[in-house]
Amino acid sequence: MTLAAGQWPAYAEPAAGPAAGPSDPRQRSGTLVVWRLELAKLRGQWRVRAIALMCLVGPFVIVAGLNVQSATPGDTAFGQWVHTSGFAIPMVILGFGGQWLLPVGTAVVAGDIFSSEDHFGTWKTILTRSRSRGELFAGKFLAACTFATAAMVLLIITGLLAGLLAGTQPVVGLGGQLVTASHATELVVVSWLSVMPPVLGFTALAIFTSVASRNSAVGIGVPVVLTLAFQVVTLIALPAWGQQVLLSTPFTAWHGFWEQPAYVGPFLYGLLTSAVWFTLCSAAAWLVFRRRTIGGAS
Amino acid sequence: MSRRLAAGTAAAVITLLTLTASGCGSTGLTAPRLQTSLSSTFANLYVLQQTEQGNPKPSAASLKSQASCQKGGTPDIPQDGSGVWLCQITYLVAGPGYPVIAKYNVDVQTDGCYAADGDGPASVNGSPTITGPHYAQLINPLSLIDGCFDTT
Repeated sequence: MTLAAGQWPAYAEPAAGPAAGPSDPRQRSGTLVVWRLELAKLRGQWRVRAIALMCLVGPFVIVAGLNVQSATPGDTAFGQWVHTSGFAIPMVILGFGGQWLLPVGTAVVAGDIFSSEDHFGTWKTILTRSRSRGELFAGKFLAACTFATAAMVLLIITGLLAGLLAGTQPVVGLGGQLVTASHATELVVVSWLSVMPPVLGFTALAIFTSVASRNSAVGIGVPVVLTLAFQVVTLIALPAWGQQVLLSTPFTAWHGFWEQPAYVGPFLYGLLTSAVWFTLCSAAAWLVFRRRTIGGAS
Repeated sequence: MSRRLAAGTAAAVITLLTLTASGCGSTGLTAPRLQTSLSSTFANLYVLQQTEQGNPKPSAASLKSQASCQKGGTPDIPQDGSGVWLCQITYLVAGPGYPVIAKYNVDVQTDGCYAADGDGPASVNGSPTITGPHYAQLINPLSLIDGCFDTT
């Protein structure tokens, strides 16, 4: 039997050598193939479905819970206004749960995406395919970031809808000013978008721990413990730059948007902090992954 | 491999420190910043309180509110950083224009956000609710003030 050129099965293609740069079209498409496959694998995981469900119904459950009681979560910003204006509700969710719920949510997926292959012993299988290590890394990395982004977008939409459902009265901003419904809608969306960079930073961190530890419990656990450690360290009277180094600080930068006049200094510093964490963690993860001996004695 | 990893981590930490150490040792949580933020937030919320009670709406600027804050305890406590601050806000009552002092216990967090708890006079910030038109019970905006200021 003969096969015409170009009709070879996919696994018989020459593997992309180390010389293949990112501009190589084959490498790019290979990344996309891995990315699509990883997304399909994620869709099948129960924890991904559970997080998606929580993002979908969580804000509505919170609104329903607030409706049946008169108490307010008064110890957080906007907490006392949850019965006055619906716009306070997504902000309370962001202020109360944002600093630990969002990092944990992304770490649960990103901290497992590499080490699950170690757990099931499937690295040898997938590395004998025509996909290079770079393509595998990029595809898996992109899949984890896609999940984090998709979950955040879903949460922004449901959080805003739940708030609008609860009431569109003007809300009292953090400068004591009354914020009209249209401006409040903008501020809610912008505030939620402002925590995207640190969420992606935590995603890269979890990927690094997943790659380095080859163990999902460590891969997920270390970012979660770090989240809690940041919370404790934040309580210490660190100098201003010490606070800015922490990846938890950018989660509070949105407060400035609700001030009068609004300020964006903490957001810009947070952007830098998130970018540095993201770059260092993903670079470290790639260095470890590239040099790993797979298949040999470990 | 692990030594390389440790070296990489150390390099990362040093890079981060040099990147951000360009500032100084201050926490950025200073009395002038807190006073500016608290007095203007108070003025806005005072206007809100008056309109909710059905009184004529004063302008925030006409109150000429000024806050004076000190970190609690003995005078040698550094006047900087998170924790409980004691603030007095002096403002001119709409109409007669005589000065009133409102007191607050302000819990300042490390991110520059604070919760100011009203500590008198009772008629201004003592009660969590106020009575609006038609005896409606409304949240007293001056009882608990949430605000933030820029620490960068």
